[in-house]
Amino acid sequence: MSVTENKDGGSVVYLDNAATTPIVAKVRDKMLPWLGADWGNPSSRHSLGVKSRAAIDRARDQVARALAAKPERVIFTSGGTEANNLAVLGAARARKKFGTHLLVGPAEHPAVRDPALALFDEGFQVEVGELGPDGAFDLDAFLSAVRKDTVLVALMLASNEHGAIYPVSKVAAGVRRIAPNAHIHTDAVQALGKLDVDIVELGVDSVSISAHKIHGPKGTGALVLARDLPLRPLVFGGGQEGAIRSGTENVAGIVGFGEAVEMADQTLEGTNAQLSKLKQRLADGLAEIGGMRVLNPGGSNPSLGSIAAVLVSGPPAEVYLHHLEERGVLVSVGSACQAHKNEASPALLALGLSAEEARKVLRFSFSRESTDSEVDRALTVLRELAGELGAL
Amino acid sequence: MTTTKTNPGLVLVRYGELAIKGKNRFEFENALRRNIHKAANEIAPCTVTKTRGRMVVRPERRMERVARRLQEVFGIASVSPAYAAERKIESIAAIAAEELARALEAFPNPDPIRFRVSTRRADKRFPMTSQEMNVAVAESLGPAIEERLVIDLKNPELQLGIELREEAAYIFATRLPGPGGLPVGTLGRGICLLSGGIDSPVAAWMMMKRGCRVIYVSFHSAPFIGDSSKRKIEQLVRSLSRFQPKSRLYSVPFTDIQMAIRDHAPESYRTVLYRRQMQKIAARIARREKAGCLITGESLGQVASQTMENLTCIGAATSTPVMQPLIGFDKQETIDLAQKIGTFELSIIPEPDCCTVFMPSRPIIRGKLEECEAAEEGYGLPELIDNALANADRIDID
Repeated sequence: MSVTENKDGGSVVYLDNAATTPIVAKVRDKMLPWLGADWGNPSSRHSLGVKSRAAIDRARDQVARALAAKPERVIFTSGGTEANNLAVLGAARARKKFGTHLLVGPAEHPAVRDPALALFDEGFQVEVGELGPDGAFDLDAFLSAVRKDTVLVALMLASNEHGAIYPVSKVAAGVRRIAPNAHIHTDAVQALGKLDVDIVELGVDSVSISAHKIHGPKGTGALVLARDLPLRPLVFGGGQEGAIRSGTENVAGIVGFGEAVEMADQTLEGTNAQLSKLKQRLADGLAEIGGMRVLNPGGSNPSLGSIAAVLVSGPPAEVYLHHLEERGVLVSVGSACQAHKNEASPALLALGLSAEEARKVLRFSFSRESTDSEVDRALTVLRELAGELGAL
Repeated sequence: MTTTKTNPGLVLVRYGELAIKGKNRFEFENALRRNIHKAANEIAPCTVTKTRGRMVVRPERRMERVARRLQEVFGIASVSPAYAAERKIESIAAIAAEELARALEAFPNPDPIRFRVSTRRADKRFPMTSQEMNVAVAESLGPAIEERLVIDLKNPELQLGIELREEAAYIFATRLPGPGGLPVGTLGRGICLLSGGIDSPVAAWMMMKRGCRVIYVSFHSAPFIGDSSKRKIEQLVRSLSRFQPKSRLYSVPFTDIQMAIRDHAPESYRTVLYRRQMQKIAARIARREKAGCLITGESLGQVASQTMENLTCIGAATSTPVMQPLIGFDKQETIDLAQKIGTFELSIIPEPDCCTVFMPSRPIIRGKLEECEAAEEGYGLPELIDNALANADRIDID
C-alpha cells in the first residue's frame, strides 16, 4: 500500500507515515457516496439532509466507541491542529475565572504549544515543562510546576518527533489533586491506532485526534471530551457540533474518519507488535552500518513503534532526505509540520542534542501497511549513503 | 494501558439478587452469562466462565474497559478488574504486590493511604483462614506498607481484595458497582411506546432493569413531521441498546389515523383517541412478538392526557396489560434517571412528535370510556390500523 510510483515509474517506499498515511480502499469506498449522490446538508430538515446527519451520527458513534467516550462528547473539527487549538484556547478562556496559569508539556506539537503561548496576550501565564537531562520525562518535576490556580495542563500522549510515550494518566491523577479547576488535555494524534486511547483510563478531560494519520482523509479530526465541560468556541456561526464548532460538516471526511478510527481500533493489537518489530529491524540494521542510530527518546520510558528518529553523521538530514528520495525512499526531517521552519526542534534539543545534531535527525515512520522489505530497502540505501555522505 | 500479554487480567463479576432465585437460578445465570458475553465482546474478544456465585470474564485485552462496560449489564451487583494467582501464598503475595503497585498509581501524592487486605474464602478447604491470609499478604507487602500505607480496617481508602476459590485465587483493588436488577430476557418481553420525550426511554430502562426484554414502537406523522424525528427515535433506541443485547424498533405511520380522528371525532378527545389507537397497534405488535405487556412512560397527572380518567380510557383500549413504571415519579426524578442512563440529552433535542399534530386547543381532562368508544365508530379505524401495521418499518439495532 505504501509502495507508490515515483516519476520514473519505479516503486517508492513510503516511510513518512507520521506525516500522513494513504487512505485505505475501505475508507475511500465509504466516503464516495457522500461526494456523490448524498450531498445533503446535515442541518437541512428534509430527508436528504437527515441522511447526511445520520451518517455523521454513525461516525460519531465509531469515534466514541474507540475512545471509550460518549458520542455527544465528540466534536468534529477540521483536523488535529484545530482540535488542539480548540482544547487549549477554548478551555483556558472558559476557566479564566479560576486562574490564569497554563502548563504545557516539554515536547508538545506547535498546535498545542503555540496557542498556549498566544494566550500570553490575554493575561495568561504560560509555562512549558522541561525534560530531564537524559530526555526522560520527569513526573515529579512536571507535577511540581502545577499550581492550585492552574487552569490548563496539556501533555501529548506520544511524540510526533521521536515517538516517546508520556505518562498521561499518572500526570492527570497528579494534576487533579493539586489543581481542581484544571482542564487536562492530551494530544493523541500520533498515538491513535497504536496505543489504546481510552479517555476514562487516561483520566483526561479532552483528547485530540486526526483522521489522516490513521489511513483516513485529510481535513478531519476531533476533540473528544470526557464529559460536559466548558469550552469557548473558536468558530462561531450556525451552531453545529453543539455550538462549539460551527460550520457545515465535512460529511464525507467525517464518514471516512469514523471508518478509519474503527479499523485502527480493531487492528490495534496487531499494529503495535508489528510496528515495534519494524523499528527494531531499522535499529539493528543501522547498528550494523554504523555512524547512525535510532534515538532513544529518554531513559527507560516507552516509545511508539511507529516512529524512529535517526541521528545521521555528516551533512544535515535534509541532504540525506533528498538522496533517499532519489533512490525511492520517502522520509522526513524532524517533523513535517516544522520542516519549513528554520529552527531546531525543541523536542530534539531536549534529548540533549546540540543544535547542529538536531539538524541531523531523520524521521522514519511506519504504518500498519509498512513491511519488513520496505525497511530493508531503506537500509540498503542508507548503507550506500553512509559511504557517500557519512564522511562529508 | 498497563495490561500485559502474559497476564492479561480478568473481570470478576458478582451478582446479587440472582443468587437467591432457587430453582430458576440456572436459567438466570445462563441469561446473565449470555448478556455478559455479548456486552464484553463489544470491547474485546472474551470468554465467560461460571464459577460458584461468580462469573469470570477473560478479555484478550482492555480489561478495564470490559469492566466498565459490564457496569451496564443488568443482574450484576459489582465487578472487579482482577488477576488470577495459583492458590499458594507465594503466588498470591506476588500478584498482590503487583496489583497494589498499579493501584498506588492513582495516589500520586506522598500522603499515607489508609489500607487493608480483605480475603474472602469461598473454598473453605483452603488451609489458611481469611484472617491469616490478610495478615500474611499484608506482611509480604512489607516495604510498600511502610512507605505509603497505614493499615485501617474500618475506613480504608484502598482495599486489596482476595477471593480464594476452588480453581484459583483472584486479586483486585477496585470494586465497581453494577446496575443491579435482573438479566434482560429472563422476565418476558414488553412493547415500549417511544415518543421521543424524556419519559418513555426511562420507562424502557426500568423494565429492562427488571429482566424484561424491550421492543420499541414509535409513531410518525409524515409529511407533517420530517425524517429527523425518526432519526431521533433511532438514536434513542441505539443509546438504550447498551442495556440489552439486541433492540428492535417498529416505526408505524400514523398520519391517516390522526386525520380520520381529526375529521370524525370531538376535538377535545383527539389526544386520548390517538393514544388509544397507538395502544391497539402496540398490542397487535405484542402478539406478533410474543410480548406480554405494553410499556409507557406515563406519570399520574403530568399532562392532560395523564389524569386518572384519561389513563383509564387509554388503558382500556386493549386487553394487553400496560406497565407504567414511572407512574409515581415526579418529573425531576425522571429527568435525574434520564441523565444517569444517558438518554436525557437526546430526548431534549427539539423534534416534534406525532402527538403534536392536530393538537386540541382544550383537551378533555376527564375522558369517559363510552365516549371514546363512540368516537371511534363509523369511519373505518380498524382498517386504518391494519394499514398502519402493514406499512410499519421494522428496524433491528445490534
